[in-house]
Amino acid sequence: MTIRAIEKVSVGQNGLGAFILQCKKMDIHYCDYSGSSRGMNAFIKSQLSNFAKAHPQIEFAVSPRPRKHPVLIGHYINGRTKSICVKNMDSLQVLKKAQLLRDASGEKNKRVNKPVTSISESVRGVWSPYHGNGMVV
Amino acid sequence: MKRIRIDRLLPSQLLATCPARSATACSNRISQAVRVSKLPAPTLQRLSQTQIRCQSTEALSPDAIYEEGESSEIPLETPPDEGPDYSKMPLPSPHPDRARLSAKLSALHARLSLPSKLSVEVLARTLVDSSADAHPRFNNATLAYSGAALLQYHASEWLITRYPRLPMSILFAAMKAYAGVPALYQVAHAWGVECAAAPGEEVDPGLLQYAHDRATVSMGKWGYVRSESKELQRYKWRRGTSSRVLYDDAFGEMVPGQKKVEHDALDVSGGRNTKDLLEDDIKHTAYANFVRALIGAVWLHSGRDAAKAFVKAHILSRQLNLSSLFEFKIPTRELARLCARENFEAPVARLLSETGRLSRTPVFVVGIYSGRDKLGEGFGPSLDSARISAAINALKAWYLYSPGDVNLPSDMLSEDAAPWKPVYVDIGEVIS
Repeated sequence: MTIRAIEKVSVGQNGLGAFILQCKKMDIHYCDYSGSSRGMNAFIKSQLSNFAKAHPQIEFAVSPRPRKHPVLIGHYINGRTKSICVKNMDSLQVLKKAQLLRDASGEKNKRVNKPVTSISESVRGVWSPYHGNGMVV
Repeated sequence: MKRIRIDRLLPSQLLATCPARSATACSNRISQAVRVSKLPAPTLQRLSQTQIRCQSTEALSPDAIYEEGESSEIPLETPPDEGPDYSKMPLPSPHPDRARLSAKLSALHARLSLPSKLSVEVLARTLVDSSADAHPRFNNATLAYSGAALLQYHASEWLITRYPRLPMSILFAAMKAYAGVPALYQVAHAWGVECAAAPGEEVDPGLLQYAHDRATVSMGKWGYVRSESKELQRYKWRRGTSSRVLYDDAFGEMVPGQKKVEHDALDVSGGRNTKDLLEDDIKHTAYANFVRALIGAVWLHSGRDAAKAFVKAHILSRQLNLSSLFEFKIPTRELARLCARENFEAPVARLLSETGRLSRTPVFVVGIYSGRDKLGEGFGPSLDSARISAAINALKAWYLYSPGDVNLPSDMLSEDAAPWKPVYVDIGEVIS
């Protein structure tokens, strides 16, 4: 046997094949009494049911948190969480924040300064000084 | 009070009991796990619970196939008079009726966009590992068995038709990279499946349930138990490629023998041996069995095409650089043998370009030619390493030939399939 195999594991690329929404759970905390969660309470009453119906892949947990500011917490597949305090926001702003949590990947925010990120190697290849005819100076 | 006897079930009920395979260890293990008399004491108590649940009709899962009339004909085995009050004992896994109430479970169902024919109760059953619930009607062992068969079939046909010249050892490694336990563990993790701390009745049905301290039944092992498996493990005998094709599982790994496990369980004394005895990784195996069981459930409830699409979307769409799997020992000799076999002219290495021969960092570019055709090209800091890397590149170019997208054998199973065009599969590796 001159050929031996090296064990590797294939790498999953989300969206290539199946797409899995990365936000798996959203905790929604509100307070019945304080004014800072007025918008959150309106969001829960009017918009949350439609939002939850549109996203069956997210598990929603609504629970009161008395004498605290309202919070949205997103739990992600990579194990991280993202929490947003939505105090004094109106219900539309809270909806915007919920959509932000839904669309997030759970990764830390990082600067993207390359137009393309890929794990497959370049089709064109790397420039080599040893190939081609060269240029006469 | 009555009790189902596994041995007397009809063949149509086999899916719900245990896979119809007598040659391997796994089916033996299942049927043995169900039989009480052969089990050690701690499992005995657990099994009596599961049997009791089988006795109560309310705990039957909706997909259990057997009917009340048939089971009433089966005679009683043990008088249930003495013993503890089983109705008060907790179930080993959550009640199937609780599946509808679990938010986690329906979220997982929607996240994977599973077909509506696959109910959440079945999804809940795929999440129960055989180490959590030993009863085959309530755990995922049977589904995992059929799912593993489907997954390995689709993965191997896809690999072979796409890369018809892959050597057998590379094919095994590629199969493992796509459909092996580590890959399936990553797949289940990417689906957002979490595991429960310990299995039990009170656990949310949307969590994966397995027991850390009990070994799972190694499901999805297709292959024969070798008679010399004990010596192979103990003395590290060599296994040839042909015998790995014939006897071993889809990844070229030996199916551990039942006898070996029992034997070692008796004479284990040192800490070194106990490591071999345990299941490699209970957690990873449980996650992998869940993925296999889900594939089996998709196949069972929504058919062949849906299962194939599911495998393609979730498993075969993963990325693997096949050229990174190769490791050559003597590539130049193998290339020469290949050229002789294919009636090419003998390969000749020619220096194409060089720089800094007398410096500290020379670079040589070497091409390998057969007649006027350049087979491969490589570079290196010395003439010899450049020649070797050129030979490796030429061999990889040969072995990784791909005809592109061709028809798969499973495409022919659909009714409106175009006539079969034979695919090209190479005769095999050059030197084995």
